[in-house]
Amino acid sequence: MKINYSLITRRTFLNTLFGGWIFAMLSGSLYALLKFAFPTLGKEPDFVVLNANDFLNIPPNSVKPFAWGGKLGFFFKKENGTTTALKGVCTHMECNVTYKPELKKFYCACHKGWFDQDGKNIEGPPPKPLEFFDIKVENEKLIVARKGFKVELPKA
Amino acid sequence: MKRFFLSLILVLSNSIFLFAEEKIEIFPSVPFDQFIVYQNLAIFWVAIIGLIVIIRMKLREFERIQKMGIDKEEKDIPLLD
Amino acid sequence: MSCQRLKSWIEERYDVEGIKSLVAHKVIPVHQYDIWYYTGGIAMFFFILQFITGMVLSMYYIPHLEHAHKSIIEIVTKLNMGWFFRSVHHWGAQLAIIFVFIHVFSTLLLKAYRKPRELTWVTGFMLLTISILFGLSGYLLLWDERAFAAVRVATGGAGNLPLVGGFIKAFLRGGIDVTGETLTRFYAFHVAILPIITILLTVIHLMLVQMQGMSIPVSIEKKQHKTMLFFPNMFYKDLIIWLIMLGIMVSLAVFFPPEIGKKADALAPPPENIKPEWYFLFLFQTLKLFPGEILGLNGETVAIIIISLGILFFFLIPFFDKKSSRGEPSPLFTWIGIIYTLYFVVMTLIGFVT
Ligand code: FES
Repeated sequence: MKINYSLITRRTFLNTLFGGWIFAMLSGSLYALLKFAFPTLGKEPDFVVLNANDFLNIPPNSVKPFAWGGKLGFFFKKENGTTTALKGVCTHMECNVTYKPELKKFYCACHKGWFDQDGKNIEGPPPKPLEFFDIKVENEKLIVARKGFKVELPKA
Repeated sequence: MKRFFLSLILVLSNSIFLFAEEKIEIFPSVPFDQFIVYQNLAIFWVAIIGLIVIIRMKLREFERIQKMGIDKEEKDIPLLD
Repeated sequence: MSCQRLKSWIEERYDVEGIKSLVAHKVIPVHQYDIWYYTGGIAMFFFILQFITGMVLSMYYIPHLEHAHKSIIEIVTKLNMGWFFRSVHHWGAQLAIIFVFIHVFSTLLLKAYRKPRELTWVTGFMLLTISILFGLSGYLLLWDERAFAAVRVATGGAGNLPLVGGFIKAFLRGGIDVTGETLTRFYAFHVAILPIITILLTVIHLMLVQMQGMSIPVSIEKKQHKTMLFFPNMFYKDLIIWLIMLGIMVSLAVFFPPEIGKKADALAPPPENIKPEWYFLFLFQTLKLFPGEILGLNGETVAIIIISLGILFFFLIPFFDKKSSRGEPSPLFTWIGIIYTLYFVVMTLIGFVT
């Protein structure tokens, strides 16, 4: 019978659509809930503590990567010897950037974005400059912290 | 009316002065974040409305079957496995 | 589906067919008042959402005099979407209580409480009380000036009850005044005691409804009317309404996140024109009607006695309304129901406006 046939397909189609839709909505809500319940999920640290000896002695005009939470951070020594740290993540769509010593610029390969030594976005799509961190050396320890964040290390 | 608004403004400005510093941010203050929040709200509503449309379709389907009186038979259909 | 083995595993052990046929035969009457059947479901839906958002919020909240207020500020300002979940919890509570009230007044006016459903009314009334206690205890957890003052007033009001008043007040406050003791106490109420009672009562309430089916208003009971299946028809309609409610709640939460006041200080004067939460406004407004002294008695006490009697009568209505128990129309109780409803609505509105 023709009706029977069309009936079943329409019903299965609707059921699949319904189930899929509910699944999508539930997982979206659950994601938000989990993000709240597990605050480290997708959240960056306020500061990280590194071993100072590994970083301070890099040659001028070069970078050394470190882990900023789950993301890439750069310890950066400029040509004149001043040191800073920054997040090595492009402000456009969060690709990792690389440092080009010959040009003294940071380059993002994803959409050809360029940043200068101070992290300013000079060319390409990136909308904002790179994020820089505060650094501090405290007996053999290199502390990299979000700008303006007061680090209180537990007394060991 | 005018007096009312004047007093309202007075009250508001007063409270702004009083709480200028200790006002607690109960909503994201960065415009970009706010935009994302509103965008997500819009998406959420679209999802809800879509789901409602699907449920309405399902309901209509059930009603059609019930009217035809063939929803009762379903049990007797042998299961193919 | 390919879970045939799992299905048969379950079917071999449990009477799934029995449950299925039970569900398949449950019908809902269809008539011009059937819209009120949905209000209870909506209230329950909000309670479920409150449980969920409450669970995650309790992971961060610190029920301590010194930290309570600060921990909420941390939730709101520091955590991912913290402001949102607090706001949703706030609005979910408001909406839950609104729908509990709509549900109870619709039951009252349609006389759904009449025989044989007296116990459903009793459990429902208890759930209403519990919703209000939920609101009161949750409100104090914020531990800001307003909440502090409101709870001080509310527990003080309960203290005016003759005989038991002092005991209730001391029990709620955990001391002579609202202090840190009260905070931990209300926290325990809010996250442990009340939820368990709520679940228990809801289960009883739902089982009673399940056993006795939906009540049909007296005026149309005798008429022939259509029915629809609970599953799938009513169930999916419920789902639609829940989704709309969810959307409304989330929108309210985004557009009107609740404010956080200054930290409570027991020695500071209370903030200007404090008002209790809206579901206490009718009580608050009633108290204002009474003069300070009546026949040499404390006006407060008289007012509270009268209010308590009014509430007690409300609670016992199914046992007084003999006529509708017999299935006859009982205009007297229709009027009583209307008066109660109007009184509540009008007094709440007046409280809002002034
Ligand atoms: S992500 Fe870096 S330029 Fe687009």
